[in-house]
Amino acid sequence: MRAALLKAQIERTFPAAFTVYQRSENRGSIPTGIAGIDDAVRGVPLHALTEICGSLASSGKTSVLHSLLAQATRDRFCALVDATDGFDPVSGQAAGIVLPRLLWVRCGKNRGPQRSRFWRDGMENGVKLPPLEQAFKVTDILLQSGGFGLIAVDLSGIPERIVRRVPLTSWFRFSRVIERQPAALVFIEQEPHATSCAGLVLRVTSNLPALSGNLFTQRDLNVEVVRDREKKPVSPEKRGFSFHTQWA
Amino acid sequence: MFACIYIPDFPVQAALLSEPAEKRTDLIRSPIAILDGPAHIPRVFAANSAARRAGIQIGMTKLQVEICDSIALRKRSLAAEESAQSVLLNCAATFSPRVESTAPGAVILDLTGTEKLFAKRKVDQFDGVRRTDACQAGRPREIWKSAAHAIAARTAEAGFHTRIAIAANPDTAFLAARGFSTNTMIPVGEEAQHLAPLPVVTLPLSPETLATLDSWGVRTFQSLAALPSVAIVERLGQEGLYIQKLTHGTIFRPLLTFEPEAEFAASFEFDDPVETLESIFFILNRLLQELCARLLSAAQAASELRLTIGLNVRQLAALCGREERESPRVVPRRSRAKTRLSPERSRRAAAAILSEPSGESKDLFEHVWKLPVPTQDKNLLFSLIHLHLQNVTFSAPVRFLRLEVVPVKPRLAQGNLFAPPSPEPEKLELTLKRIRGVVGATDAEGTGCAGSPHLLDTHKPGSFTLQRFSDLENSLSQAFPKAISQAHPERSRLIRKANQPAQSKDLYLTTNFAPAISLRLFRPALETIVELDGEKPHFVRLWNRQRRVRAASGPWSTSGNWWNAAAWIREEWDVALQTSTGIVMYRIYRDCLQSRWFVEGVFD
Repeated sequence: MRAALLKAQIERTFPAAFTVYQRSENRGSIPTGIAGIDDAVRGVPLHALTEICGSLASSGKTSVLHSLLAQATRDRFCALVDATDGFDPVSGQAAGIVLPRLLWVRCGKNRGPQRSRFWRDGMENGVKLPPLEQAFKVTDILLQSGGFGLIAVDLSGIPERIVRRVPLTSWFRFSRVIERQPAALVFIEQEPHATSCAGLVLRVTSNLPALSGNLFTQRDLNVEVVRDREKKPVSPEKRGFSFHTQWA
Repeated sequence: MFACIYIPDFPVQAALLSEPAEKRTDLIRSPIAILDGPAHIPRVFAANSAARRAGIQIGMTKLQVEICDSIALRKRSLAAEESAQSVLLNCAATFSPRVESTAPGAVILDLTGTEKLFAKRKVDQFDGVRRTDACQAGRPREIWKSAAHAIAARTAEAGFHTRIAIAANPDTAFLAARGFSTNTMIPVGEEAQHLAPLPVVTLPLSPETLATLDSWGVRTFQSLAALPSVAIVERLGQEGLYIQKLTHGTIFRPLLTFEPEAEFAASFEFDDPVETLESIFFILNRLLQELCARLLSAAQAASELRLTIGLNVRQLAALCGREERESPRVVPRRSRAKTRLSPERSRRAAAAILSEPSGESKDLFEHVWKLPVPTQDKNLLFSLIHLHLQNVTFSAPVRFLRLEVVPVKPRLAQGNLFAPPSPEPEKLELTLKRIRGVVGATDAEGTGCAGSPHLLDTHKPGSFTLQRFSDLENSLSQAFPKAISQAHPERSRLIRKANQPAQSKDLYLTTNFAPAISLRLFRPALETIVELDGEKPHFVRLWNRQRRVRAASGPWSTSGNWWNAAAWIREEWDVALQTSTGIVMYRIYRDCLQSRWFVEGVFD
């Protein structure tokens, strides 16, 4: 009797204290525009954290991101948190991104907020935030704000040893926040870091570029599904597809 | 019917309006005199009844007045009188939309059509249905009595001791309020009878006319009203006839209604310059609350917010002067112990600030927020100011604050039902502000750090700007034709056929783009050393290592702006470099004007 009373009292204060959290079944997804990926995993899932990785500088992960943004910006407002300010708007537009629907945040271009030496509020003058920290803070702000259908965080220019230092709690927090929003959170990295917090992990690799005479025209990419929360076990096979240059 | 609200001894009551309510009650009963005139010979301009009883007369000098021990002296303030008159008009406007500012301390309002308002007031007061019915049926005297009580109560709340008079015409109401010492209600047709005992000094007469009437032995309204009109016109002209009609109470004139100029600005001046954000935010919050209340009452919303902060640059100027002592407020208390500036260094720093080459005023800080959607939300406006001021460095302590809003009609309907779901405009503005607080507003070149990318109409690579990410769908329809023509010439031909921008947008959104290889840029481009084999790159030095070129495509020459100083000529190469992890595609280019090689980006 006493336990039941206690339970009732706790539930009055914390309604979800004794309920098991369950993810919704029908979650939806955003197609990437690449047939190989869309066939395998039905695009990037909503309400989940996705990682697109590629260890090589020229592995093709940025092309995949641009293709995804091109699909997403057709019917959503999207945000791109660019940790190293590497986004090329010309390439983005050529890939089909609707630029007016894209909020591009360029991190690492400035020092942090400066405080007047006349303020006696205990803050240090000229706080400098590293680009990675800026990117995570901005992502946090965007997640709190809501209203964006896709939030992409490009960490591919940040050295691997620095991204590895991000505590798991950060990934876990992002994962829990995005679960309650009808949006997709996509990280572009060299290696996956979110472990079980990620709903989908894709690894992109590339083959030798094809030259037509003197002209660089095409590159073949391979995509491997490393983790898919919706489909277990994941298929180990790599799916190949071709990307053309803008002028090909 | 017309009601006149009259404030006796208006300059005295106006001067006391800024005092606390408890103190004001005590002061109004004690003798007070208001001084005005040149600073060396101030004279009594106004005094209250207690002061007049104590022997104080208008025109006495300050020395003569100071003989009276208990008298309180105040300097006349025109600003305080204007403010008091404004408060009085606002009080009157709560009862009737037709209000006239007749004289300083006197307001006339038209009560026509407000009978039910005051009859209802009776119901609330006495909870008696029969009584209300009686009021509505035909007991106007009760209604106007109720009106006088209500008006008196409202003005008392505002801090005034007033006299109310209600009459059938404005001038009669004004003369009754001015002449009688209590609230007066004059029934229709009995004006002359009620005004009869008033002295003629109550009338608006010139000193000469007053002297003439005095020489005739005419000292009351009754005696003036009894004189033959023709004889008065013969002796005093039309002015005489006018004042005689006033004594009869038979002049009807239209009210010159007061149209209040809605001012949506508020300011605050600190007694001592402040240096902490908390003090400033506390006052700004209060000012915003006041402004938002005004906006709400005027059914308006803020479309623009302007903040002006006055800085106390004099303290810095003192550092540049001959005095060696350091201003105590320039160096923060926290850092004074360790990083106290030497007087010489402080002087140099202050002089540098004051001798700004731009020639702009350094004692004012101004900022304007243009809001994407008109708002009446105080918290939103305060958050915008808060987030901005956190990142601002001031050159001196703050002396005063002024806030101004530009009022517009509030948004009554939502935007486009068929537009994709987007962040709320009000919330988005705050989000962008927070983001700019983290990454900064602009980079070193002046390009924004958060916004929507927009390609410039030039062939120069990397030419873009960041637009405001607020006016989302409106900018969308205009952005497409030019944007597509830059990247896809074949699609731009399709676009040219479309006449309406909206059609262009739809066409763009339904076009299927094949996945294309994208470039990830290095900003700024990395300078490198390239070894050539003939004309082709053979080795590229990258990340302090020589990388062999496995394949190269180029050169692709571009140039532009040859007619001005921003000229550029470059030869681009797309190269596949052998690295330890595999083959990586880079775009390198040679700046022909400087003869230097750069790595622009990587194909990823």
